[in-house]
Amino acid sequence: MAATGIRARIGERLRAIPSWQITLGIALLGLGFLIAAQLATERPRIRYTTQERAPLIETALDLQRQQEALSAQVLSLREQIQALEQAGEGTNAAIRLINSELEDARLAAGLIPLRGTGVIFQLEDSFAPPGADANDVDYLVSARDLRTMVEELWVGGAEAIAINGERIVPTTSIIDIGGVILANSAYLSPPYQIAAIGPEDLYERVVGSPGFADFVRARQEAYGIRIGYLEPEEVDVPAFAGTVTLRNARPAPPAPAATAAPQGGG
Amino acid sequence: MRRTRNQLTIAAVAFILGVLVVSQLRAQASGSGLGAMSSQDLTVFVANLNTGLSQRRQQIASLERDLQTLSDNQDRGIVSLSGVRDELASIRAFAGLYPVVGPGVTVTVAGPIDGPTMEDLINELRSAGAEAIAVDGVRFVAGSVVSGGPGEVAVEQQPLGDPFEVSAIGGSETLTGSLTRNGGIVAQVAATSPDVSLTVTPVTRLELPATDRDLVPEHGQPRL
Repeated sequence: MAATGIRARIGERLRAIPSWQITLGIALLGLGFLIAAQLATERPRIRYTTQERAPLIETALDLQRQQEALSAQVLSLREQIQALEQAGEGTNAAIRLINSELEDARLAAGLIPLRGTGVIFQLEDSFAPPGADANDVDYLVSARDLRTMVEELWVGGAEAIAINGERIVPTTSIIDIGGVILANSAYLSPPYQIAAIGPEDLYERVVGSPGFADFVRARQEAYGIRIGYLEPEEVDVPAFAGTVTLRNARPAPPAPAATAAPQGGG
Repeated sequence: MRRTRNQLTIAAVAFILGVLVVSQLRAQASGSGLGAMSSQDLTVFVANLNTGLSQRRQQIASLERDLQTLSDNQDRGIVSLSGVRDELASIRAFAGLYPVVGPGVTVTVAGPIDGPTMEDLINELRSAGAEAIAVDGVRFVAGSVVSGGPGEVAVEQQPLGDPFEVSAIGGSETLTGSLTRNGGIVAQVAATSPDVSLTVTPVTRLELPATDRDLVPEHGQPRL
């Protein structure tokens, strides 16, 4: 009975509040949320931002844009070469065979974009406030986090992996430089999406591994690094857009038996 | 009067809200963590980007030459196997399907090293420009992992002895300099795992085997 009376009184008081006050209240709530989000986003990223660094940042952004354009050019040239090779094979069995070997080698080297079953993991910086003695960097996704995820995916049976579109190949390094991450010398901006093609149960294999459990304990539970995943019907992994030209390593083909004489005049 | 004041208050709050929404969206859209970097880090970052650019430019020049040769040959009705064979050998060497020879370094690892530290070492070698790597005679390719706890590391399910060798082909001086610099992997391991030692030796000629793995994907299909 008393409770009903209290509820009625609360209802009356709520109805008595002018609508502009409610609007203002909601707006202020949104304002507070945005200020908090703004501060969280900027921690610790704007700590060093000063006028002196502006030219360096501009240079870096410009180089990034150039790198993206050159990567697209590399991929386009490789496609044109592949198309010409296939068009020129005609009925020549030797050419068809070598082109088929070339296709397999390109697939193995990560030079051809792939589509297939798999999983996409996403890693994001923590929202958790760092403790008094904590290191801010521990609350950000690191290159080692990405390398750990890549290793867990390989162990789980992945056969092709890309992070934010950067294909992982035998020469790929993933490094931290002052809080930002590079893979294949390309800047990766958060969030970090690790797309992997592999068996249909790739996700189950990864999350069931002891290494992944250790990773979750060490990074998600301890520091709040956000780990998400998506299992689309098909996962796309782009081709490697970097160089495959080796400057120091020379191929030493195993026992080149009965090499066929080059045909034609080339 | 009071109504006008209320409207002005709401308008002011809405304005600030709008400014914050826009700046928040911009911050997230740019996703750039560059503002967090010190000048020194930015310089290293720019140097890395320049290296990547230079490699891509070289790759483009090489691909353009290949394309031109192919196109010319086709115009003249010439079918050349030798050019394709060179390309095949080059891609196979890159992927780890061919043995390779060249200068580089060997890193002798002694003591109870663990998998993550080994992965750090491999990553450091790649970052310094290693073109091919083998661990205890096993070629390291896409999909290779060194796993295991201290003193129990294995590569491709093959347990590693103590000591064992990591061989990397690349610029000897660059690789040695990168591994042994102040704060580099050798110094880090010495500080965090005093029982483990890494000895870097420049070598003028290394020969690394091909991988035994079948690297042609089974679950992924070429996307056209």
